[in-house]
Amino acid sequence: MSAPTGPARASLRLSLSSLRAHKRRFAGTFLAVFLGVAFLAGTMVMGDTLRASFDTLFANANSGTAVVVRSADVVTVPGEGQGTREPVDTALVTRLRSVPGVAAVAPAIEGAGQLVGRDGEPVGGQGPPTLAGNWIDDAGLNPYVLAEGRAPRTSGEAVVNRAAAEKGGLGLGDTTVLRTPDPLRVTIVGLVTFGGEDGMGQSTFTGLTRADAERRLMPAPGRASTIKVRADSGVGQEELARRVAGVVPHGVEAVTGQQAADENLDQVSGRFLSLFTTLLTVFAGIALLVATFSIHNTFAIVVAQRTRENALLRALGASRRQVLGSTLAEAVAVGLAASAAGLLGGIGIAAGLQALFPAVGFPFPEGELVVGATAMAVPLGVGLLVCAGSAVLPAVRAGRTAPLAALRETAVDHSGASRGRALLGAVLAAAGAAATVAGAAGTPQVWLTSAGAALVVVAFVVLGPVASSYAVRVLGAPLARLRGVTGALARRNALRSPKRTAATATALMIGVAVVSLFTVFGASLKATMDRTVDRSFAGDVAVTASGFGAGAGGLSPKLAPAVGRLPEVATAVGLGKGVAEVDGGGRQLTVTDPVALTRVLDLGAVDGSLSGLGRDGIAVSRQEADKHHWAPGSTMVLAFADGARRRFTVRAVYQEAGLGGDYIVTRTAWEPHKVQDSDALVAVAFKDGVAPDDGRAAVQEAARGYGNPEVQTRQEYAESAASGVDIMLTLVYALLALAVLIALLGIANTLTLSVHERTRELGLLRAVGQTRSQLRSMVRWESVLVAAFGTAGGLALGAFLGWALVKASDSAGTSAFAVPPGRLAVVLLVGLVAGVLAGWRPARRAARLDVLRAIAAE
Amino acid sequence: MTAARVVDAVKTYGTGDARVRALDGVTVGFPGGRFTAIMGPSGSGKSTLMHCAAGLDTLTSGTAWIGDTELGALGDRQLTLLRRQRVGFVFQSFNLLPTLTVAENITLPQDLAGTGTDREWVDALIDVVGLGDRLRHRPSELSGGQQQRVAVARALAGRPEVVFADEPTGNLDSRSGEEVLRLLGRAVHDMGRTVVMVTHDPVAAAHADEVVFLADGRLVDTMADPTAEKVLDRMKAFDSSRDTGRGTAPRQRVTS
Repeated sequence: MSAPTGPARASLRLSLSSLRAHKRRFAGTFLAVFLGVAFLAGTMVMGDTLRASFDTLFANANSGTAVVVRSADVVTVPGEGQGTREPVDTALVTRLRSVPGVAAVAPAIEGAGQLVGRDGEPVGGQGPPTLAGNWIDDAGLNPYVLAEGRAPRTSGEAVVNRAAAEKGGLGLGDTTVLRTPDPLRVTIVGLVTFGGEDGMGQSTFTGLTRADAERRLMPAPGRASTIKVRADSGVGQEELARRVAGVVPHGVEAVTGQQAADENLDQVSGRFLSLFTTLLTVFAGIALLVATFSIHNTFAIVVAQRTRENALLRALGASRRQVLGSTLAEAVAVGLAASAAGLLGGIGIAAGLQALFPAVGFPFPEGELVVGATAMAVPLGVGLLVCAGSAVLPAVRAGRTAPLAALRETAVDHSGASRGRALLGAVLAAAGAAATVAGAAGTPQVWLTSAGAALVVVAFVVLGPVASSYAVRVLGAPLARLRGVTGALARRNALRSPKRTAATATALMIGVAVVSLFTVFGASLKATMDRTVDRSFAGDVAVTASGFGAGAGGLSPKLAPAVGRLPEVATAVGLGKGVAEVDGGGRQLTVTDPVALTRVLDLGAVDGSLSGLGRDGIAVSRQEADKHHWAPGSTMVLAFADGARRRFTVRAVYQEAGLGGDYIVTRTAWEPHKVQDSDALVAVAFKDGVAPDDGRAAVQEAARGYGNPEVQTRQEYAESAASGVDIMLTLVYALLALAVLIALLGIANTLTLSVHERTRELGLLRAVGQTRSQLRSMVRWESVLVAAFGTAGGLALGAFLGWALVKASDSAGTSAFAVPPGRLAVVLLVGLVAGVLAGWRPARRAARLDVLRAIAAE
Repeated sequence: MTAARVVDAVKTYGTGDARVRALDGVTVGFPGGRFTAIMGPSGSGKSTLMHCAAGLDTLTSGTAWIGDTELGALGDRQLTLLRRQRVGFVFQSFNLLPTLTVAENITLPQDLAGTGTDREWVDALIDVVGLGDRLRHRPSELSGGQQQRVAVARALAGRPEVVFADEPTGNLDSRSGEEVLRLLGRAVHDMGRTVVMVTHDPVAAAHADEVVFLADGRLVDTMADPTAEKVLDRMKAFDSSRDTGRGTAPRQRVTS
């Protein structure tokens, strides 16, 4: 790079010397960019590293499989991970063996199996899948490798992955239960690894004998999920797949091992990892957005404070461009330094997590940290952009400084509460709110709601300076009364530059708004689930498999009949899940006894009859029926995963979908198409006169033999259904902490700059008798007022956006909207406490001022 | 009865070669109910003397007293309380808080103390300074002279034992300055207050009952019933003595 010449060098020198002179002013800016960039870079590096590790892991584990033979039809339900495929006939194995170039063939059976630990508690199952399958003896076709012990030989023997064994406190020779979901007693004879790791991510794996696996995980013996084929050396995967495809029957396909592995990988990196990194990136973005507001504010203040200096430069002959350039160069220098530091910090975070994850039991695959070009360029670029972009307007303002301003007393305050701004803000707010409400009401139009929501956010930012004068006046009124002149001074100080107060508070407002948005959304989700259970569950207790997500094991289909035989129980109905395509889209079916179901679930008004659905009858919710124009007597076609297409007659239309789902069929109808039989829920109603506690104890006792699932009252069931929401909220709060921290740095930074600006005033106050503690309290109260304004604005904005989100994401019109006052009060409290903390250091610095020097300060 | 005094006051700044003795053993008392002016050329230590006597700064050695209270024994908090209860201040400029109204500025020390203000006394003061119609105004809406008159009212509002004024007319035109000086004079002669004023202006000093002269950190002279001419002559004498080299080496300005 050649050295800048002439005038450019002069302005660069100016900005560098100014940076050196005012390091402290930019400490806050530096920190804000640093934190945001570190978060972003850490996310990207960790995502890349995880992806690369999984890539190698899967490639290595599946390298021996040349061809996978499987059913061609797949039914995918929206929101579910892997689609459902019909098993293939293992009779194919013999035929495949004779294909030239085939070295080995093995049926692969894959299903769900929840391992029970030594303490009787399920192992894993909180999200990641709990897998079970047959143990394949051919090492080339088995992604798992035996690490200790031996393979299962006789029925009841099993191998488990080492991480699962450790977590469950199980060792070689131990006997435990595998819920498939029918409990199966297994003795552990071997421990296995996956691609050199103790497991595949957090999932658990139990390998059984082929006979056990067929009996437990397949609808019938002689079936397997897929058939894996190993190639002779010298035969390519593509070539072999083509040959195999020639011999398989209609409805069965042969894909290369590579393709199957890629699809598997997609499940992990495509879904889980992308979700994970997208989530983190969104929150890094929020943090950086908040940073943008605080940085802009810092530069605006610095430029205002430097008016005389800049005017002097202009009077001495500096061009506008030079003054503008010197301010911008300052921003770029800070941005570069902070982004570079943030990038290093982010790589450090990723390296730290890589070291930390195994320690907390999450097997982070080994491998080098992957720092790609994108993961370096994007955080650097974004950091620089945020910093320089925030400084553009202040820099332009600096360039516009009139040379004469050097001679005038500096007027710092450009009152931001102009009429034009109020008008513009009001128009934006009205338009935004109208669009949001219009988009959210009735049939949701997501784009209209989003556009409206964005407008409302902009309106809040525009209206900030107008609102701040009113809000601080109101919020500060009790302060002046309670804290006397100290409070009054704090209030006046917060009022003296509405624009500055608003800009400072806006950063916090954005952070708090996102927090409240999620709080309201989460509370609404919980309320919706609560209401669903409340409205549709008419029984006394519910039996559910613990855990959630893909890992939730399901219940043995034998449980419901067993519970039903208890003397205390009037009705026990199991609800299983099935899938089929309706009009080309995957749908979830509720597989149950429809007549008994009406005794434990309230389906609302029923048009038609639920009795006698039989083999070809179906009951449909009112909403789905209306959508497809069905009425009792209409016919429809269900396409199952096994390729079968069956005509069904709608026999009943019920009002409340709730727990019953949108489609109800009998077990008889589902039986031919089922894969692995399980119930998701057993709803139980007691006989009259049975005490709830007695009934519950009896059900719990009966359930013990079926893997001891949880028996819950209605309230407990509703709460456990909503427990996932709390986990999500906790995660979101943790991720938003950084944005709030950056906002607080912004408040602290603004206060420090303000204190600096008011040096003489503070000196005067001290001279005429303000004690140090009064001065500290004055600065802290100003901070609290600014924080209160930001928090209040954020709460209002967040609650509104939360409402919009709830309405816009609810096409069925069945969602509840709930504002949790307790939680929002905590948010408010945290905002206020944060204000005190943000004011702490500026207050202490202000109190340390030397009275005489302060009075004499220019 | 002296309202404020310093005994053997020594104040040094800096260390080693840069060491400057701003006050070099000054003993002086400011009698109650009197208007005393402290005069001296730039760098004579007059402002330092006032700051130390008023408890804004601490002495290197020697003692400073307000009434019977020795200031060296007080901590920051006690000094602060003493300033707001027993001392009034008028500075050269920036005497008022821009966010407070005229009325609020006048009662600021009492508001900080949380004690009530003596309404009658404050009303009388406002009457004397002649700003009754400006009470709700902000300082920025007042002229320099008006601002200084508000500052005088603020300094007197708590009936302090002594008012210290540091070049109170330094930033004013002669007419506005004259008004402020007359106000300080009335505070002493009509209201029985005590005023100590630092100035380098012989015309301002002429309003005082007595002038003490400082040079090179020492008390060199006092003059009762001063007139502008007499003070000017005395100052010229300093200058000529300096020019002939009898003074100390040129020294750093310690106050502005």
